[in-house]
Amino acid sequence: MGQDTVLEMKGIKKSFNQVDVLHGVDFSLQKGEIHALLGENGAGKSTLMNILGGIHQPDEGEIVLNGQPISMDTPRTSQEQGIRFIHQELNVVTDLTVYENLFLGAEIRNKWGMLNVKEMCNHTEEVLAKLGIYVNPKAYVRDLETSYKQMIEIAKALLKDSQLIIMDEPTTSLTDNEVGRLFAFMKSLKESGISIIYISHKLKEIQAICDRYTVLRDGSFVGKGTIENTDLNDITKLMVGKSVSTDALYHRNAIGEPILHVRDLTSDGNFQNINFSVSKGEVVGFTGLAGDGRTELFESIFGFRKKNQGTIEVGGQSVKINHPKKALQAGIGFVPKNRKENAIVKDLSVIENMSLSSIKHFEKKGWIQARKERHKFEDYQRELNIKVHNPKITIDSLSGGNQQKVVISKWLEVNADILIFDNPTQGIDVGAKNEIYQHIMNLAEQGKAIIVLSSEAPEILRICDRIFVMYQGELTGEFNREDATEELLMEYATGAKKGEKQVG
Amino acid sequence: MANIRTRTNEDRTLWKGINLNWIWSEYSVLIAFIIIFAVATIMNDRFLHFQNQMNILMQVSTIGVIALGMTLVMLSGGIDLSVGSVLAMAGVFSILSLNASESILVGVLTALAVGALAGFINGLLVAKGKIASFIATLGMMAGARSIALYLADGGSQAAEVGGFMYISNSALGAIDTPIIIFLFLTLIIYIVMQKTRFGRYVYALGSNEKATLLSAIRVDRIKIGVYTLCGLLVGVAALIETSRLNSISSSSSGNLYELDAIAAVIIGGTRMTGGKGKVIGTFFGVLLLGVLNNMMNLMNISPHLQGLVKGLIIIIAVLFQKRD
Repeated sequence: MGQDTVLEMKGIKKSFNQVDVLHGVDFSLQKGEIHALLGENGAGKSTLMNILGGIHQPDEGEIVLNGQPISMDTPRTSQEQGIRFIHQELNVVTDLTVYENLFLGAEIRNKWGMLNVKEMCNHTEEVLAKLGIYVNPKAYVRDLETSYKQMIEIAKALLKDSQLIIMDEPTTSLTDNEVGRLFAFMKSLKESGISIIYISHKLKEIQAICDRYTVLRDGSFVGKGTIENTDLNDITKLMVGKSVSTDALYHRNAIGEPILHVRDLTSDGNFQNINFSVSKGEVVGFTGLAGDGRTELFESIFGFRKKNQGTIEVGGQSVKINHPKKALQAGIGFVPKNRKENAIVKDLSVIENMSLSSIKHFEKKGWIQARKERHKFEDYQRELNIKVHNPKITIDSLSGGNQQKVVISKWLEVNADILIFDNPTQGIDVGAKNEIYQHIMNLAEQGKAIIVLSSEAPEILRICDRIFVMYQGELTGEFNREDATEELLMEYATGAKKGEKQVG
Repeated sequence: MANIRTRTNEDRTLWKGINLNWIWSEYSVLIAFIIIFAVATIMNDRFLHFQNQMNILMQVSTIGVIALGMTLVMLSGGIDLSVGSVLAMAGVFSILSLNASESILVGVLTALAVGALAGFINGLLVAKGKIASFIATLGMMAGARSIALYLADGGSQAAEVGGFMYISNSALGAIDTPIIIFLFLTLIIYIVMQKTRFGRYVYALGSNEKATLLSAIRVDRIKIGVYTLCGLLVGVAALIETSRLNSISSSSSGNLYELDAIAAVIIGGTRMTGGKGKVIGTFFGVLLLGVLNNMMNLMNISPHLQGLVKGLIIIIAVLFQKRD
């Protein structure tokens, strides 16, 4: 490595509240490379990067930047060294315009101290154009799509001169086209000598863009190498510490009678003329690109969105669902996407999150029976393998996968016949992902009708009996498991093909 | 109570190292209360007298009952600025109906009904009208005061039925009735928040409204319930206040009570944005303010300066609370 090494982190140790998060991690980065930092949730990736970004201070270990030992006391020191951190969460100020966001805290001023709007707008257009994005710099960020917001977040980091960019899952809300453009841009950055640390759970992306990788597990360094000479399965093994089978999850269940019928469901501007049905014991997938309307469709079926026409029948009975409570009474459960905003109540305990939708099961003469709640939770804890040492702590201290299992247990306790999972493995590491799939299969086996929404075609292909593709608010294709391939789904999802039914 | 104790023990073993932090974050209001109480004891030897202690409780009982309602509203993520004005309005209505009917029961029910109705309207505006609670209750604050002033022609209304004043001016043993009402309601609200579905939903709603709605909970009904219950408690406070003086002033009764109630809730550790906080915290917040007032009076601090001391204590108390 020698003189090409930009950054070296040696023996970094860090603990929070006497819990060791990093046990002496080594990490090195070369000039002009894209380096994947891999590991399950909780492996210590974010902590390591926060130390590099000056957000946390290491307990032990040193950071060597361009051959000079340096201590990153504050985020500012880190930034002054040309290190840019693109966080996973969107930190844009939605009530400001695009250019105001890009220059927030670093406004260009003329000699009178007044803002130089024109120059800032020019710079904004320039940097966004490099990312292949064309928006008016004076447009308000609140009016933009999520993917644009993420691009603005990325552009913000690129505006200033940088030598090292940390990207923490930058593609979560980007469409495939945008990911492509981002990758092209990352390559040009790389050629100009900038190093990138890339954190992602999507191994395909890693394969497409990264040069080398480092894997962390449980706060320790477990392996590194070049992407070219490595099999993705080996990396997965390194991450989880054992080999995870990616197949053999799916098995066909006995499919019962149809239980949910949706007819001519339309919501202006969101989706049009949706017709489908789902049977007991069946796993049905809905996929498409961002903006295809699938989330809106199922939020409407669940009664979260009210303005729609058409009929929904559950078990042969037409039901009017104008509130999630009505959906629950009709036997529909919904595990929403964006767990943090939509699914967990962070100030309630793990147990209380489990019982939230079915509290009447735990009441006796109007009083909540805490003991009964706890016993029931212990059942689910065993059934779903929820890892929590004390279920009375608030749910936000659990890892993403365990939080998701608690959300699932909430709907199991309701005993819904139809379960809708929107993006069920968002932000969940590989091991827990497989568990979630396994639970979904088990539920189908118990005769529940399962609907899975996901923009990741491989996820849909792994577990679904039947797959619908949506494009701009319409169902453009329907496939049986045997007929579906990733390429085929993509053709329908991008609108390249539509209309013809593939199922007899 | 039992489950709270187990939680304490478990947490202790788990977080041995940060034990102090934990006690501080959960009970900072209690510690602050003990400090102020100790200072008051040292500063003035009359402070600890039983009669003085009862005076303090008597003086805080009105604000205390209101602060219980405010705790609910703030836990749900809202705020109720109308409590002081609604107190005056409920008091005026109560006296008018009392004098007209010559029935104490009618007077009592009127105060409760007017308070609850005002709260219900606040709830409707917030839940169904989707108006920010600050704005909706600001409107109610102006409106209720105006109705009170109009009905009483800007002046006071005195009760003409003899027995009415015994509601506040009576005692059970050595303890005055308003104190008993305050302690009893604190216990009731505590139990409701810890042990019933309603309480659980209020915490959930304040913590994450969208997730609560997506958990198939009638969020709007919970909101209406919270404001109505707060209004009902203001009705109770109006009764205590009106009966104690046997009259109510349409212009000055209840003035700035909303600020004292909010201060007590905040000192008690309830988070401004909702979802986190305890009824017991509010209870000690109320007592802390009461002790502070009492101490300043005993020490002959100019009434013009008392506001400054109070303001400082509120800010210091909150500064030291652990925030997220």
